[in-house]
Amino acid sequence: MPGTSRKAAQIERRVSIDHEGFLRLAGFRWLKIALVFSLAAILGYIIADVQPRPNGGSWYGYTLGTIGAGLIVWLALLGVRKRAMTPGGWSLKAWTSAHVYLGLALIVVATLHTGFQLGWNVHTLAYLLMLVVIGSGVFGIVVYSTLPTALSANREEMTESQMVEGIAAVDRQLHDAAQPLSMTYSDLVLAALNEDPFRQGLWRRLSGKYRGGATELAIAACESAGPIPADPAIARVEALLRRRKAQLDRMRRHLRLKALLEVWLYVHVPVTIALLAALTAHVISVFYYW
Amino acid sequence: MAFRIRTIESTADGRKIVRDRDAASAELTLGRAAENDIHLADLALDAHHARLKLEPGGRVAVEAAGKLGFTLDGSTSRSASIDPAIGAELGFGSHRLGVSRDPDGVTLLTLQRIEVGAEEGFDPKRSFTLAKVMPSRRMMAWLLAALILGLFLAIPIASNLTSGADPKIRSISDSSWSPGPLSASHHGLENSCKSCHVKPFESVRDSSCKACHTNAHDHAQPARLAGARAVPPLGERLLQTVAHGFGKPGPGACVDCHTEHEGSGKMEPTQQKFCADCHGTLKDRLVDTKLGNAADFGTLHPQFTPRIVTDARSRKLTAVSLDARPREDNGLTFPHKLHLDPRGGAAKMAMNLGKQAGFGKGLTCSNCHQPTEDGVRFKPVNMVRDCESCHSLAFDKVGSTFRTLRHGDIDQMVADLRASDHGAVPIISARRRPGDYASGGTYYANFAVPNVGLSSVERALARGGVCGECHTALPGGVKPGVVPVTQVSRFMAGGWFDHKPHIQEKCSTCHAAEKSASSSDLLLPDIKQCRTCHLGEDSTKAEVPSGCAMCHAYHPSPMAPKQDRDGRKQLAIDLKPED
Repeated sequence: MPGTSRKAAQIERRVSIDHEGFLRLAGFRWLKIALVFSLAAILGYIIADVQPRPNGGSWYGYTLGTIGAGLIVWLALLGVRKRAMTPGGWSLKAWTSAHVYLGLALIVVATLHTGFQLGWNVHTLAYLLMLVVIGSGVFGIVVYSTLPTALSANREEMTESQMVEGIAAVDRQLHDAAQPLSMTYSDLVLAALNEDPFRQGLWRRLSGKYRGGATELAIAACESAGPIPADPAIARVEALLRRRKAQLDRMRRHLRLKALLEVWLYVHVPVTIALLAALTAHVISVFYYW
Repeated sequence: MAFRIRTIESTADGRKIVRDRDAASAELTLGRAAENDIHLADLALDAHHARLKLEPGGRVAVEAAGKLGFTLDGSTSRSASIDPAIGAELGFGSHRLGVSRDPDGVTLLTLQRIEVGAEEGFDPKRSFTLAKVMPSRRMMAWLLAALILGLFLAIPIASNLTSGADPKIRSISDSSWSPGPLSASHHGLENSCKSCHVKPFESVRDSSCKACHTNAHDHAQPARLAGARAVPPLGERLLQTVAHGFGKPGPGACVDCHTEHEGSGKMEPTQQKFCADCHGTLKDRLVDTKLGNAADFGTLHPQFTPRIVTDARSRKLTAVSLDARPREDNGLTFPHKLHLDPRGGAAKMAMNLGKQAGFGKGLTCSNCHQPTEDGVRFKPVNMVRDCESCHSLAFDKVGSTFRTLRHGDIDQMVADLRASDHGAVPIISARRRPGDYASGGTYYANFAVPNVGLSSVERALARGGVCGECHTALPGGVKPGVVPVTQVSRFMAGGWFDHKPHIQEKCSTCHAAEKSASSSDLLLPDIKQCRTCHLGEDSTKAEVPSGCAMCHAYHPSPMAPKQDRDGRKQLAIDLKPED
């Protein structure tokens, strides 16, 4: 029999090697658990006879509140857990899967905990921060499952260093090619060369809309010299500028996709910490003025 | 001459050495091997790495010859076609080969070794992330957390601890802790948290409530209250144990029934279950109680026990169950049926008196019964106001003026009648009214049954006399008089009934006055009658689901239950019997 069990272990090992995203892990195990959990919470809410109206301070309210607070702390611990990767059933992937689905179930638990009583207070602040965190997490999942294809299509197997190097290569040629040009043109080329694709702010990166860039202006100036410029240097500079523009556009698309893939974390992580602070204030204040 | 190869080298002190050599061949080879036309000593290259060929149109074709490719303007490639007029930059390992055209038309290949560390200060990995354009996540996290903890925790606590116990000195920012508005009656305490939340981490105590509500009496003696409480089911016991563990008072604390921060407006009435947990099975524990078990108006509630007068002379109010079909003796002789019969004499008389006297087609309840100002119940019937328009007390006529007896004053009545006995004959009323008294259809005050030998006073008091018609004369003695009349204005002292919400109902729906031939009939509806509309709080069939608090107050009070009292001023009802 030891041979059989070893074989089984081998098969199991193979299964765990096969790629399975964290969303569909183990046949959506955590989705099912989260659904059952949410339904149980809703059922309890209906059955619990809380008078005069559902309230976070009733026995069922305290129960949901305790579960919710525990969940929030556990969900936040992913930040610690992800720094230690382990295989198997307690793998980081399983943890992440649970993080996603239990995080969604938290909407149900916390909403029922509020008893739909919201106001301008620290309690509702904690609730709203929680919704922001979950909302940003959902955004993160959506972009993680849709954008990498677009990212890789846009890259065309170029690495980020190659993108930078590509623009640098064109820039060096532009610098040389622009030497014979007049001051008007050389200023425009210089401005284009100084255009740093990394210098733009968050909004430009996320929207991918860059109008009136120095490269575009320089191209427009070359175009105004006519379809076939008398000076072949201008034609060469124009061709190089167009090449620079193409490279720049690719890089900007890349930056946009990367920014979209990343920006949710700039909400998810700090607001999680803010949520933990608001949760602390919520719990302490409730018992301080009990 | 096909190509010009320009090699640029840097000396140790940064000086550039530029060497040009011309190549006649239209095809050049490039690689690590020494026999190549362009020989590059670079281990990252194949021995025969690439071929450059000048094509007839002037373009330069580049082909990788070995396994490795090259870069064309930064991106990896294995073959390329370059227009030297525009130019391109090829990368071979650590070398860069620029393709362009020299002013004399020769294709120029510029070869340069890439200096290591040329792009110092530039970190592509970091530049492609948002780290460069966003404040650090950690900094944002700390900032937000500190802001929230400071504003919503540190400041309120510090303010609470330093502002002392006086609730008038308000703590700063603790209104952000309020989970919801207070009810309308506590609205004034909205920003004075300390009024109720006296000590940190201690739940609201009864003493806080009683500081203002000094007249909220205990429901019963504490010992009896404790004895009355049923042992709660396991789940509730568990919850109570947990609550006590956290220092919650109760059961029976003010806040157990009166929950706050549930939103502005009226405080919600206390739920039926808070009463039923004791009263549902009260008799099991308080065996000596006079109260029947009550848990739900529709299913478990004792019959009403109104307080009525059973002996007119003593005027004592006795609580009697309606199941015992009690008879009332209020001292008055008044058959409702006779007055309400639409074809009876009273109705005819009312029609004769007509609209100007306030009558319509016959007599109605409202001709005699007037509601109190608050509409809750009815004023006692007043002889002068409600009866005398028909039951005239006129006994004499001097000229065109009628002399009338004064109701309620026996001595005055005796004096008036004795004075008129001296030669006076009872007058004949000038007013024509239907009735039995005068054979010619003329009404006159018949002060007595024809009984020769009696004084007018005795005749008036005798059965059928002007007084004795409604009153019972006291047995003959020293002083003439009648049995006192007691009109009960509130029958059920332990409950609360308000006529006003029932205004759309006819009186006869609940009070069978039309069939009552005797004033000893108690015309109160019983519980069965009420249950046609009112059933328990949770009833789905009832027209009006009714919790205990609709009729009962927990805190003993002669007033309406809290639920009914809010929003209008309710006068305390004087239970003293009316004369």
